[in-house]
This record gives sequence, structure tokens and C-alpha cells, in this order.
Amino acid sequence: MKKVQSRFGEIEYDPESTLHFPEGLIGFENLHHFVVMPNEKDGPLFWIQSTEDPLVAFILTDPTGFYYDYRVVPDGNERRKLGIGETDECHVVSVVSVSPERQITLNLAAPILFAPATNRALQVILEGTNFSPRTPLPTVEPAQATATSE
Amino acid sequence: MLVLTRKTGEGIIIGDDIRITVVELKGGGVRIGIDAPREMKVHRQEVYERIKQENKEATQWDFADLNTVSSILNTGRKKS
Repeated sequence: MKKVQSRFGEIEYDPESTLHFPEGLIGFENLHHFVVMPNEKDGPLFWIQSTEDPLVAFILTDPTGFYYDYRVVPDGNERRKLGIGETDECHVVSVVSVSPERQITLNLAAPILFAPATNRALQVILEGTNFSPRTPLPTVEPAQATATSE
Repeated sequence: MLVLTRKTGEGIIIGDDIRITVVELKGGGVRIGIDAPREMKVHRQEVYERIKQENKEATQWDFADLNTVSSILNTGRKKS
């Protein structure tokens, strides 16, 4: 086990099971390894802590829990970066923002593709999408939505 | 910054495998064609900057936020 400092104190983690971002996240290109932390409370949120920068942690969630039809399909190039083949599983995860007013938004314009087989993840920018990087949670009925990766 | 003048149909080669072509000039805009290797990411600058800013702001949270948000979500999420 290794230890990493975070804004929330020291975290012990298994270096074998960290999430690997070969290209980092956008704006954080030099951070490649994150520890996946479960949320203490039940629910759809979890968070990831950089092992390379104690100040960097993101809240993530499965956007399809809110937008049932939201789909992002990795292209061949993205699959290669994730180290997976045509038939391997790939999940989509969204970065969650919490404003000072406690408004919750999902970044549906730049989803994270996650490949369980390799534990690799990639943040992609969707081109020509109507999805906002600050998509509020659906208030009444979940919106119908589809997307493809560029 | 290197500044070059190009006409419609003319291009610029960057390195060995990036080719940028001026496709059309129209209404104050320039349509640009880009040929680059598949693994090279090409984005509109403002879109890229927006996501970068969004990611930066997304790191500004604390456990109180996480707990509050979790409570909100647990009442509003689809039942699985």
C-alpha cells in the first residue's frame, strides 16, 4: 500500500488499482494516476484523487443515471488509447461540479471514457454537440439525449 | 508568433504530418481544413479552454458539498 496526501487528509491506496489517464484530464495533462474513492454516503457519486497532486480531486458520476439515453461511443483511436479492443466494455463517466450555491452540474460536453479491462480512462471533448459542460440535473423528466464521440 | 498570408486553397505544412488548408473565406470567417494524424487532438480553442476552465472549477469542492449533493441525488435519482 502507498500513501497520498489530499485536501481531505492522508489516503492509503493500492498502486495496482489506480485509474490510469494516459493523457491526463484536460488542463491536467501531467496527472496520470488517480485513486478511486467511494462516497461515504450511498448514491451515484464517487470521487478520484490524484496521486501526483494533493490538490486535485474530482467528483464523478454515471451520467446515464440522469440522462438515460446519453451515449458516448469510443472510436478506434480512443479504444487504442484505452488499450481495449472492439468488443471490450467501455463506460462513460461525467465530471460533477458543485457551485458555491450548491447547484450541481454534469460536464456532458467532455465525458470520461473508462475501460474496466485496462483501468484506463480518457477525457474526450465532444465536437458539434449541444451538451453543455454545465448540464444541470434533470428537474422533472429526464431529457432524451444521445451523443457520439467525435 | 509566425504570421503567414495564405489565399483560398493554399495551405501550411507543420512538421511531417500536419497540413492546414484555407478552404473558404466567407463573411469575416475562415473555413480551415486540417489533416493530422488520428491520435492528434484538434479542437476549437474556445471549446478547449472552456473545458479546461470547467475541469479546474470542478476540483473546488469539499466533503460538505459531496454530502449535500449526495442527499439531493438520493431523493431525485431513478430507481434502479
